Amino acid sequence: MTETAVQTMAPSLANDVTGRTMRRWGARLGLTWIVLLVLLAVFAPFLANSRPLLLKSHGHWSSPAIENLTPADVIIQAVFWTTIILWKMPVSLRTKILIELAVLVSTTIGALVWVHPSELVIYETYRQDERAGNVEKVINAPIPFSPDDHQRDLEDAQLKPPDSAHWMGTTENSADLASNMIFATRIALSIGFISVSIAVVIGVIVGGLMGYFVGWVDLLGMRLVEIFDAVPTLLLLLCFIAFFPRNLYIMMAIIGLTGWVGYAYFVRGEFLSLRDRDFVQAARAAGIPLRSIIFRHMLLNGLTPVIVSASFGVASAILIESTLSFLGIGLVQESSWGALLEEALGVGGTFYWWIALYPGLAIFLTVFAYNLLGEALRDALDPKLR
Amino acid sequence: MAQPILELRNLTVAFENSGREIRPVQDVSLSIYPGQTLAVVGESGCGKSVTALSILRLIPMPPGKILGGQVLLDGRDLLTLSERQMRDVRGGEIAMIFQEPMTSLNPVFTIGEQIVEAVKLHQHVNTSQAYKIAEQALHDVGIADPDKRVHEYPHRLSGGMRQRVMIAMALSCQPKLLIADEPTTALDVTIQAQILELLRRLQQQRGMSILLITHDLGVVAENADAVAVMYASKIVEYASAFDLFDYPKHPYTEGLFRAVPRLGDSGGRLTAIPGAVPNPSRFPSGCKFHPRCPRASGDPLCANTEPPLREIAPGHWASCHHIEDFAQKPITRPASEAKRPQGSLAT
Amino acid sequence: MIPTMLGITALVFFSMALSPGGVAGPLLNQVSRLNTVDAKRVREYYEKRYGLDKPAYVQYARWLNLISPIGWRPNPDGSLGGFGFKWPSLGESLGRHRPVSDLIEEFLPVTLLLQAISIPFVYGFGFLAGITSARRRGSAYDNFVGVSQLASWSVPTIWAGVMLIGFLANRDYISLFPSSGLHEAEALNMAFFPHFTPQGWQRGWLLDCIWHLILPVVCLSYGGSAFLTKLMRGSVLENLSSDYVRTARAKGVPENFVLYRHVLRNSLLAMITVAASILPAMLGGSVVVESIFSIPGMGKLGVEAVENRDRELVLAITLIGGLIGLLSTIIRDVLYAMADPRVIYD
Repeated sequence: MTETAVQTMAPSLANDVTGRTMRRWGARLGLTWIVLLVLLAVFAPFLANSRPLLLKSHGHWSSPAIENLTPADVIIQAVFWTTIILWKMPVSLRTKILIELAVLVSTTIGALVWVHPSELVIYETYRQDERAGNVEKVINAPIPFSPDDHQRDLEDAQLKPPDSAHWMGTTENSADLASNMIFATRIALSIGFISVSIAVVIGVIVGGLMGYFVGWVDLLGMRLVEIFDAVPTLLLLLCFIAFFPRNLYIMMAIIGLTGWVGYAYFVRGEFLSLRDRDFVQAARAAGIPLRSIIFRHMLLNGLTPVIVSASFGVASAILIESTLSFLGIGLVQESSWGALLEEALGVGGTFYWWIALYPGLAIFLTVFAYNLLGEALRDALDPKLR
Repeated sequence: MAQPILELRNLTVAFENSGREIRPVQDVSLSIYPGQTLAVVGESGCGKSVTALSILRLIPMPPGKILGGQVLLDGRDLLTLSERQMRDVRGGEIAMIFQEPMTSLNPVFTIGEQIVEAVKLHQHVNTSQAYKIAEQALHDVGIADPDKRVHEYPHRLSGGMRQRVMIAMALSCQPKLLIADEPTTALDVTIQAQILELLRRLQQQRGMSILLITHDLGVVAENADAVAVMYASKIVEYASAFDLFDYPKHPYTEGLFRAVPRLGDSGGRLTAIPGAVPNPSRFPSGCKFHPRCPRASGDPLCANTEPPLREIAPGHWASCHHIEDFAQKPITRPASEAKRPQGSLAT
Repeated sequence: MIPTMLGITALVFFSMALSPGGVAGPLLNQVSRLNTVDAKRVREYYEKRYGLDKPAYVQYARWLNLISPIGWRPNPDGSLGGFGFKWPSLGESLGRHRPVSDLIEEFLPVTLLLQAISIPFVYGFGFLAGITSARRRGSAYDNFVGVSQLASWSVPTIWAGVMLIGFLANRDYISLFPSSGLHEAEALNMAFFPHFTPQGWQRGWLLDCIWHLILPVVCLSYGGSAFLTKLMRGSVLENLSSDYVRTARAKGVPENFVLYRHVLRNSLLAMITVAASILPAMLGGSVVVESIFSIPGMGKLGVEAVENRDRELVLAITLIGGLIGLLSTIIRDVLYAMADPRVIYD
């Protein structure tokens, strides 16, 4: 097959698969939820912020929310809008990715240099100002609480059930639950995406090496796979988690490290079957390097089970992170859904139903969404059902 | 003339496929007499297997539906029987064997267990008697050491042997009619000959009738007393084997014969029938064969009206608008042994 | 099998070694709460005793020596004695100051009990739901089962546990079940079976145990049964459209015999194959369930070991986890060979 023929084949196959997946209600439902989560994550600082979006005080306008955006917030905004703008533009995929990367890098550098949110964080001043009447005009975020706002200006604000001020109630340290939930969305999405990406990369490389070189490389690889396979995942994770500091990036790496086995299997299987195909022999006889045949063809066939598996993998990663945080051996600083859920069962048997319901529901719906998506993808890609 | 053991009258079967109805079998009528072999010939997709399965009502009924017609076994309409009564017929009065001997036996039970299961369903015997019957059946189909074989698992047997086991199982309850759906297609040619010879022998011993479904004209020539040619859900020609091979009347049958090489041919190209078998969801209007027919060439009658199945010579039926115009010279019939006397095909 | 086990342990050990704080970091951190002189002495003691000051590979070698039945016998002060046969030992837990093997003896049976009780439920439910939905393929029942299966599989165990405790084991709501532990305190004094005493009806040890186990078992089983339901349904449907089923029907076999005799026997094979992956998954689930319900099992011990960076304990638990995983693979292979006549093992 010529280059151009294959390249034109690839996009139409992708379109075909996308079309078939989208026809299933499960995929539509799942994708809707995921898109909702993405929007929440991207616009979090504008949705839940103790700082007003717009403030007119003592005669001059300001926007404390925007002034205090973190570099991460800025980068996320930039990447998001770039993606939206590039979505429908008739440029090749390669160019789009390059532009995205360029934007990402430049915003990162720019943000790190220029964006400086204020170091001292005293949320109470805004509310106190308002109460004191110093404010002429104020527009607050829909949820006027940041996740780390412990409402020190109010007494007895902790562990309150939902009311008009706090739509999802408050947590153990008097923070607004809804606000924490929205910011936890970022953690869930990023852990899901990045851990699985790490796992896929490791799996594809190891599986590819095993399938390409066979012989002792394959044997060694199989031993490695056996080792990771034999121990139950959670126990293996406990092991790794025990000895490393609990920050987000290390957590992503560790979850990725425990999940690569499945992808390696798929890729290895595909490579091994490809080696024996007649057209591969013919191409080799013609002098075409094995490498380019395998990569070109593999992209169409071998990655399909990987993609299906990746969707389930994201669900699994989110579950794992929630479980670990719940058990107290996961993330420490940032509050993720799992960590929030842990507060639901209080001392002496008290049950704070809102803290159990919302974070738990969030985890469930997200995992369910990715599982639905995975099932729909699997049905769409199954050759028997075509 | 004796009464037919099985008679199909205007059988029509439909399937529902994502909202659309297709009819793989339309208005099919045929008769099989005691001790006779009727072959149903056609290409893949013509509806012959569906016809066979419909006789035993083995078509899954949610997507499938029998729209009309009768299936008369010794005068009884099988389509009116309850499921329970039908189960007695299956394996009892009518038995069926299939094309794929490799997968048609349950891999986790011994062949003895599977034959005994059939025996006990139709005869009131205890297990050890059933095993005796099973061993006898294995012996009858030519399997050596039946008392040992009876405890073996299917995967230990070759394809030919498995088909013999299938035949043994089918015949263990002395059916009046054996339906054989392409029984030898998946086997080597030599094994094929053995199996067919076995079937002939058993038929003579027991006076059993056979409905033989096949796409192989050679098999038909060797084994059939009467032949029905099916094309695209309909019977297009129906005659005794002699008449069909010597005097084919329908253009499709003629086309089939012309495409088969014969001993003594001088060489040259085989003439294939142009075009392809139509998809059941897109049958042509009028005569279903007309797009490929050399006699049709633009004739509006062929394109708009289905030709009825008419008796154009005693015992010889065909459905074509242009029979009389194209009386053919007899095609030399292939060298085959002398066959039994013809039965009549009155319907 | 042995190389895999060794590989697991090596993996664990060296990930420990690579971590900041090295082995037993938190343990030594506790020490820092003491005054500096005492701290130094305790630290020196630990290091001498457990060899914590030596490089990682030396520590690993020492540990291997410890667990092998042939090696140098270790002396209490940390040096090595004579060479020869010895009892393999898993070392001593740094956090609890007890031999690891004692701890395992105490905690492992509880976990195994939990698994043993849950597995029949998982299989039983999966079988029933899978078969019934396959028979009624395409019906509303089938669709319902399909969706709820995927949904229950997606329910996080932590949420299920919290909700169950919160609503069913809570004095504010319904206090149907106990929320923690394996027994009430009084249970130790109860007779085994329920009986009447002058004070009224007494539950008895057995019933008390069961009562405490209901919620944890539910929590542990729902995920596995959802998975098995889907598997069973798929397998039954696949077999229902196979050639041998067609033959059976052509013989006149009644439909439910077709299902329960022919199809099920073949679907059994698929169920056995999957058993090897269910047990490790349930062990993982056990970690969560034991922690939520405060059941003293291996899972809970593991979490504690991780929190304390208790080297010996973590190693031992990972080893046992791997062992159980490998064992379930072997059992699966054996069962499969027994069930499928096509398989020959020599």
